[in-house]
Amino acid sequence: MSETSVIHDIGYQRYEGPRLGRGAVIGALVVHGLRVAFGLGRSAKAKIFPWLVFGIVTGVAVIVGAVRAQADIVILDYVQFADTMSWLIILFVAIVAPELVSRDMRSGVLPLYFSRPLRAADYIGAKFAALVAAVWLLLGVPQLVMFLIAAFTTDDGMRGVWHEVGDLLPAWAYSALWAVLFAAISLLIASLTGKRAFAAGAVVAVFLMTTPVFGVLQTLPSQNAQHLAGLASPMMLISGVGLWLLPDTNPGWSVGRFGPVYGIEAVALIVCCLLLLLARYRKVASL
Amino acid sequence: MSTVAYITARGLFGRRRALLLLPLPVLLIGLALLCRGYDVNPSDWATPVLVGLGLAVMLPVTALIVGTGVLGSEVDDGTIVHILTKPLPRRDIILPKLAVAVVVTAVTSAVPLFIGGMLASSARLGLGLAVGAAVGACAYSALFLLLSLLTRRPVLVGLVYILVWEGLLGRWVSGTKVLSIEQYVITIADRIAPHVLATRVSLPVAVVMAAVFVIGSTVFAVDRLRSFRMAGETS
Repeated sequence: MSETSVIHDIGYQRYEGPRLGRGAVIGALVVHGLRVAFGLGRSAKAKIFPWLVFGIVTGVAVIVGAVRAQADIVILDYVQFADTMSWLIILFVAIVAPELVSRDMRSGVLPLYFSRPLRAADYIGAKFAALVAAVWLLLGVPQLVMFLIAAFTTDDGMRGVWHEVGDLLPAWAYSALWAVLFAAISLLIASLTGKRAFAAGAVVAVFLMTTPVFGVLQTLPSQNAQHLAGLASPMMLISGVGLWLLPDTNPGWSVGRFGPVYGIEAVALIVCCLLLLLARYRKVASL
Repeated sequence: MSTVAYITARGLFGRRRALLLLPLPVLLIGLALLCRGYDVNPSDWATPVLVGLGLAVMLPVTALIVGTGVLGSEVDDGTIVHILTKPLPRRDIILPKLAVAVVVTAVTSAVPLFIGGMLASSARLGLGLAVGAAVGACAYSALFLLLSLLTRRPVLVGLVYILVWEGLLGRWVSGTKVLSIEQYVITIADRIAPHVLATRVSLPVAVVMAAVFVIGSTVFAVDRLRSFRMAGETS
């Protein structure tokens, strides 16, 4: 090679358009993640499981709404609806969380992501936002269906509709709490393995094995232990926060005066999971 | 035949994910010890711990991870080709793999259940739970092994079975209990140690249906493996 070697311009067209920065990358990842969650843009096989869960939850909402409209029996109100659907939410995050993070690990595309102006925190933030939105939609849309049925069949005119709105909005916030906590925990678990099958099994195992702990702690003789029992299980933790902030709900147990403890643990758990995820991806990203 | 079993066992235990099997049994024994330590009445905690955690979660989830792992992970890796191209009858591939899955599942769930049952009331209850868990391990493993041949996403289908069929429908729609392995396990355990667990199907139904699950799934799985077709990763 001579010392006067040059790079010849062989006439390829240069890119002259605008260059989108981190914000656009994150936005694209969120939208992509949300599409992945429901299998949009994929084959029919990828749509089966998310839409199966979504269909069951919406079906239950329609039944509950119809029974209330026709027979005037309230089987579940908006908040109880989220509690009752907890097993299906577990199933949903077990389906979607591995799809969002395990797939990228398995196929080894993370170095490609991180060669862009994208940081580990952005990647996690985008995946987290996508999963939170997906879980919230899973609960929020059926709650909206219940609301619509109730609103169109109300006997009190506009006042009845407003009353329903007043019930619906706190329930949406409650669903958002479910979404945030479940998304944080399930993403952390799913990010530990590249195999979607094992990630799904691990997510379900972690959520299900904590429920009996709550049942056992409830039987302990100490009343403080009974009031604090919900801290052991993510589902009961959310239920406890609901008990604290929405005193109308009545799931059959009590948090006593420990409501704030539940709030603190919920926030701490979410932050911890996200920080651990960040630590995990700092390591993975440097591979 | 023993080589296939050896390869399968090594595939299961040779990796870190075998550790996934540990937390559930440890949690079950820990909870039983906790209740025992606080002198809680066993009739209060036996059902949530032994049935709620042991039979409804630990047994099926362990069987799911192991049962889909023995064949499914080889299908995923593509190494199943090496076994399929050997001059082995398909039966000699399915049976050792099923045997490994059953043994691993039975040991990891029956031992903690036996200890838990003993802490709750007597060795008789422990024995009942262990026998029930062993029967359940056979039925679940056969079913999940079959699933890993029928679909590309066996774990998700298995989770739908555990969570939706046994978990949700089993609670509200009583007719589905006849087709729920969990109920057979509870019935068999209850027969050996009566008056502790609530049973919902009769013993002959439980035994016959469990046998139907085991034999039917195994025969069907052998048949499916005869016409097994390799495919790439699905979307």
